Amino acid sequence: MSAEALAPIPDVRREARNAERRRLLLWLGPPAAWFAVFMLLPHLSLLYVSLGHMDYVDFVPGFSAANYVKIFTVEPYLGVTFKSFNNGLMTAVLASLIAYPLALWMAFGVSSARARALVSVLVILPWLASYMVKAYAWKTILGTQGVVNSLLVSAGVVAEPLETLMYSRFAVILTLTYIFTPFCVISIYAQLERIPPSLIEAARNLGATDLEILRRIVLPISIPGVFAGAVIVFSLAFSDFITSTLVGGPSDLMISSIMINLFGVSMDRPLASAIGFLMLALAAVLLVTMQWVEKRVQVRF
Amino acid sequence: MSAGRHSLCTGWPWTAAAMAVLGFLYAPIVVMVVLSFNTSHVLGLPMEGFTFDWYFRFLGNEDVVESIVNGTLVAVACVVVSIGFGLPAAMALDRFEFPGKAIFRRIVLLPLILPGVTTGVALLNFFVLANVPMSLWTIVTGVGTALIAVAITEIFARLQQIGRSQEEAALNLGATHFEVFLRITLPNIASAVAGAALIAFAIAFDELAATYLLTGRDVTLPMQLWSMIRREVTPEINAIASAVLAVSLVLLVAGMWLSRGAQLRGTRAA
Repeated sequence: MSAEALAPIPDVRREARNAERRRLLLWLGPPAAWFAVFMLLPHLSLLYVSLGHMDYVDFVPGFSAANYVKIFTVEPYLGVTFKSFNNGLMTAVLASLIAYPLALWMAFGVSSARARALVSVLVILPWLASYMVKAYAWKTILGTQGVVNSLLVSAGVVAEPLETLMYSRFAVILTLTYIFTPFCVISIYAQLERIPPSLIEAARNLGATDLEILRRIVLPISIPGVFAGAVIVFSLAFSDFITSTLVGGPSDLMISSIMINLFGVSMDRPLASAIGFLMLALAAVLLVTMQWVEKRVQVRF
Repeated sequence: MSAGRHSLCTGWPWTAAAMAVLGFLYAPIVVMVVLSFNTSHVLGLPMEGFTFDWYFRFLGNEDVVESIVNGTLVAVACVVVSIGFGLPAAMALDRFEFPGKAIFRRIVLLPLILPGVTTGVALLNFFVLANVPMSLWTIVTGVGTALIAVAITEIFARLQQIGRSQEEAALNLGATHFEVFLRITLPNIASAVAGAALIAFAIAFDELAATYLLTGRDVTLPMQLWSMIRREVTPEINAIASAVLAVSLVLLVAGMWLSRGAQLRGTRAA
């Protein structure tokens, strides 16, 4: 066969490819354009503004890292960033620990598929429910006139309502842990679900006890799920301002609150943008690291 | 004895631990709802009596009612944005190969795990630079854009599930691509789209983080509730919070039922 004999075919193919490309453009164009304008541009504008400075009320563009230096050298920014980091970390660890037994039970203790689906819904519902309402629920429980205090007082355990329950770091971390536990359950369960029954049965046939199976098979395999959940929870809890404002005291403000104040009251948009961009960068770095780690440790079945 | 994977954690200590965690997830919400029916003006135990008064009271509060109307408008607009752009994006991701697909997927799903406050601050910054005043519409750009990710995961999961054989058969029989989409693809994904719409509405209706930054003169329910919650703790606020919770739970359950099974996969899709 000579090349000439085949000549018309590439044309038909090209025609088909062009039609395919036009259809792709029809689907991809609008969402790509929307994301470019309302996601990429705004985040780039954050970087752009963060490199400039304010001259009274006017923004002056520039190319200076001064705002970033300020966050890491000047109080209260440095201390609050550190505190938010700590709160995020505590929340991620506590939420993962609390979530783990429930995820285990969902994966290895519920035999009916219908019951498993029901429990999944029971876990997802509180995750998707209003963040603010969940934080407020703890305010009604921990407040000076809240449930815990009125129980303690009426039972005679304490004479006066405990002030430290509410408006404290304890309250902030407890509430954040509460809010993010469902997410950790979902993340860990999704990973446990990947373990094939044959693997467990094989271990059992070889004489492993349940505890050994949990420790030497299930636990190692679950690590990417725990890690993925914890990383996302850390990044979300780190940037919280709702919980810390509602149940925290004046000294429990987190970095997002500072950023919001800088944007509004203090009119220092460049510094606020620098904080915002750092939060975005932190989230991005964590996600990329997470995916990298996941790729390396993920077990293929 | 057939000892499958579901017999590893069946003992009562496992069940008890699991129930304790589920109890932890639901107890605070239940307490809050119960207190919204308490006759006492002071929030706290013991219950003095049962009443619906607090619910009637907030329905008589003009600011609250206005914020509910605004919030509903905003949530509907967010649903339109999320489905309007999420459906085509899901089609492009499932049915086509294109350069940069992996990056596109990552960017559109990013809002699932990105803090709302960063989205809010980025858009606020952008609008201030562009001299666009804050309004109900700016809230839609923030919350709606983030919710596109929800629509994509739900619809993409369904597209994967239904496969392409029906569509290919129709194309071979001479149907146009437009006809195939309208008469085969769309009916097949309709319930997932409806489910995504309900879930998106429920989330948009009580989103606060991005909303907080992008709100102008008109406020939506989350902002109204926020300004009340910060000041005090009253049974009336419990009633509003409980109502918000009830509405979103109903919508979420209906949404999840319509788009069965996508959630667990969806949350890890990113």
